[in-house]
Amino acid sequence: MTLITTRPGPGAARPYRFPQVVRRAVAGGQVVAAHLPGQNLAVALLLLDGGAGREPVGKEGLGAVLAKALEEGTGQRDATAYALAIEALGTELVTGLDWDSFQVSVQVPVDRLNAAVELLAEAVRTPKLDPADVLRVRDDEATALRMDWANPGPRADAVLRAELFGVDNRWGRPMYGDPESVAALDVDDVTVFHSEWFIRPGTLIVAGDLDRIDLDALGAAAFAGTAGGAVEPGGPIEVPLPGRRRVILVDRPGSVQSTLRIGHPSPHRAHPDHVPMTLAGTVLGGAFTSRLNHLIREVHGYTYGIRGDFASSRRFGRFAISSGVQTAVTAPALVEAVGEVSRTQLTGVTEDELAVARSWRAGQLSVELQTPRAIASALTTLVVHDLPDDYHARLREALLAADVDQVSAAAAAHLHPESLTVVVEGDSAIIRDELVAANLGEVVDHTP
Amino acid sequence: MPDSGYPWPIETTRLDNGLRVVVSEDRTAPAVAVNLWYDVGSRHEPEGQTGFAHLFEHLMFEGSVNVAKTEHMRFIQGSGGSLNATTNPDRTNYFETVPAEHLELALWLEADRMGGLVPALTQQTLDNQRDVVKNERRQRYENVPYGDAWLRLLPLLYPPGHPYHHATIGSMADLNAAGLPTFQAFHETYYAPNNAVLTVVGDTTAAEVFALADKYFGGVPPRADIPAAPDGRTVPATGRPAVETVTADVPAPRVYVAHRTHRFGTPGYDVTTVLATVLGSGRGSRLYQRLADGERIAQPDLVGAYGVDLAHGPAPLIATVTARPGVTAERLRDGLAEVVDELTTVPVTAAELDRAKALLSTLWWRQMSTVDGRADTLGRYATQFGDPAKAGERLPAWLAVTAEQIAEQAAELLGAADRVTLIYQPEEKP
Repeated sequence: MTLITTRPGPGAARPYRFPQVVRRAVAGGQVVAAHLPGQNLAVALLLLDGGAGREPVGKEGLGAVLAKALEEGTGQRDATAYALAIEALGTELVTGLDWDSFQVSVQVPVDRLNAAVELLAEAVRTPKLDPADVLRVRDDEATALRMDWANPGPRADAVLRAELFGVDNRWGRPMYGDPESVAALDVDDVTVFHSEWFIRPGTLIVAGDLDRIDLDALGAAAFAGTAGGAVEPGGPIEVPLPGRRRVILVDRPGSVQSTLRIGHPSPHRAHPDHVPMTLAGTVLGGAFTSRLNHLIREVHGYTYGIRGDFASSRRFGRFAISSGVQTAVTAPALVEAVGEVSRTQLTGVTEDELAVARSWRAGQLSVELQTPRAIASALTTLVVHDLPDDYHARLREALLAADVDQVSAAAAAHLHPESLTVVVEGDSAIIRDELVAANLGEVVDHTP
Repeated sequence: MPDSGYPWPIETTRLDNGLRVVVSEDRTAPAVAVNLWYDVGSRHEPEGQTGFAHLFEHLMFEGSVNVAKTEHMRFIQGSGGSLNATTNPDRTNYFETVPAEHLELALWLEADRMGGLVPALTQQTLDNQRDVVKNERRQRYENVPYGDAWLRLLPLLYPPGHPYHHATIGSMADLNAAGLPTFQAFHETYYAPNNAVLTVVGDTTAAEVFALADKYFGGVPPRADIPAAPDGRTVPATGRPAVETVTADVPAPRVYVAHRTHRFGTPGYDVTTVLATVLGSGRGSRLYQRLADGERIAQPDLVGAYGVDLAHGPAPLIATVTARPGVTAERLRDGLAEVVDELTTVPVTAAELDRAKALLSTLWWRQMSTVDGRADTLGRYATQFGDPAKAGERLPAWLAVTAEQIAEQAAELLGAADRVTLIYQPEEKP
């Protein structure tokens, strides 16, 4: 047996390049495109300022219901005819929303992109929104959420979010709503939300071989019949940190695992510490090799996986850890996880850890940004957060330049172990006493 | 659109120790995908050793003679790469995508765990990863509603002794019962260069990869007597339907219907793939149109049909629907059976066929849009059909399927007498 014993070093580094970005004003809207020469598939994505952050309090899930209602027929054809027309092009209408935006997209072989964008615009701009259809879609969405909420996780997520951001605020409630909030929506809620946010032009994102794509024609199709301008998104929201650590127990009798969600508020996306904070989060919990996964999975065998990260939207952010651990080790897993947050906050990161984290984050820009869909998603980041065309190249430089002092300082400033809210969804009868004895904070039973 | 589903160059060689090497150069992005298919899966596991192939996949990340525990992940992530591995009934695959300048690192790591895993395998590592796998089983199969459907369908579809009878996650009792020497023997038996295909796709050349493959893998000795899995190519029709009803903590009744079809890679299975798309993929599919929209007995988000692409036995076709509130499991079961039965009696229209083929074309090109997707595809075709270039034939084969072939297959294989039905009923709440 002869194996090479020494690890090979890297070859000559290839230059990093993000695809060429083209921005163009067309027919009252903006087109932002990336050129992917030779790519057979193309993606077009209409980005609208109609994310969950635009939903009124008490109307959570409105965007998700509207997303489904868009496909229930248009001014030109009924639901079945629409489904057959768009699927005959080889695509489905993919809808999605986050706090900052609503997105509708198609992915097709490049020669079918025009036809697909015309159908996309037809559904977004001129949906039929027949009251009987809207009510049925609403009921289906409520049922779908009930199905989802039968899984471990959604309840714990909702409890953590409410605790972090306050249940009186839209951002303190689940992004997609819950079964009750959706069931309470009415037809007017949906039609008003549509007329308020879905008639404004928005931005058309295109990723594909631009030599074979007519951006003006796509823009004309996407923005036909639109009206109204952009609306001020609102500034960052001040979210106070809790004064003490608390443990909230969500009962799930018979659970063979405890679902953990541990977190606190953190800065919004445009905060100047974004890069060092991301790297601190990566060292602590953002990758397989991170401290949390190493300790809780690889050393103790308590879990199949554990992750922690900072996530941020335009107006607010949060740090959160999530995992599922075997019921019998719930308390020790929590003690270890919270301990690791404290250690990272107090003592920062090491050069070895940071070297892995920064190369990984930087390298992912080459490795993960391959498909038209991934490139389209990167373009939406530019638009939503008002970033320049060379943002990804600059981000790469910033990641590679971050040093131990900066990242440790970000960990010290933005991790708050004493302000963590610890949500445990599991079999209360089995784990409650141990959680109290673990002394991580006051243990409170969640009452729905 | 090109005539072939694989319009990129493919070059192959075989090292003296039997390792097949496949390279597909593409300079579009500064990244390379490295992919190893080992021709060992849960179909090779004898009774009493279920779950071994999958546990082994975990152990492959825990260090080898020149790579300390945790270093594998750290080196790949530290180079900016992504990595993972999966096990299924047919095979185990390991893959990483790295910035192109780290190709040699990835090959060194893969060679070290192919040729040097056993001396580094410790009892402590084995115990730790056994715990991790048990947690995986809890998380994916036991702690979620309907999570055990696949575990229940397999023994209904395949008789005892068939290589697909048991699920890849295996039995925790079997994993507990085995000691370190059994796992060491498993590696020595199956993780040989002549039982693997190495595929590299991306920003490199065939000449570079062939030379590096020889440098790093050339010293790993072949194994002469790799035992074959039991032959599962034919499963006699039972002539009577199999029905299992499960009462469990689930939020709504759900029904699965499953049939044995053909082996992945055969013309018959191409028909199955198109048939499944007509039946259950998208809002224009028959299941959606009939049960979610038409009769409105099924939840629209949870309607589906798909083939499971297994190559060493008649692969399963699975269709599933979940009840809308107020709809009984019986009504749902009858509705699903009716739509499946109609594949024989109501001819597939040209519009239905075109829709299915358009969706499958996009699906294919999506898989081809990344270097890692291409590498895994080439590795599959080299391993299972002896020639990576056969990957280019799949899409044209789907596009050539006719409505008559779908009706014939439905009549031949999807009859009620040879049907597996799995029904979930919610528990009565006190």
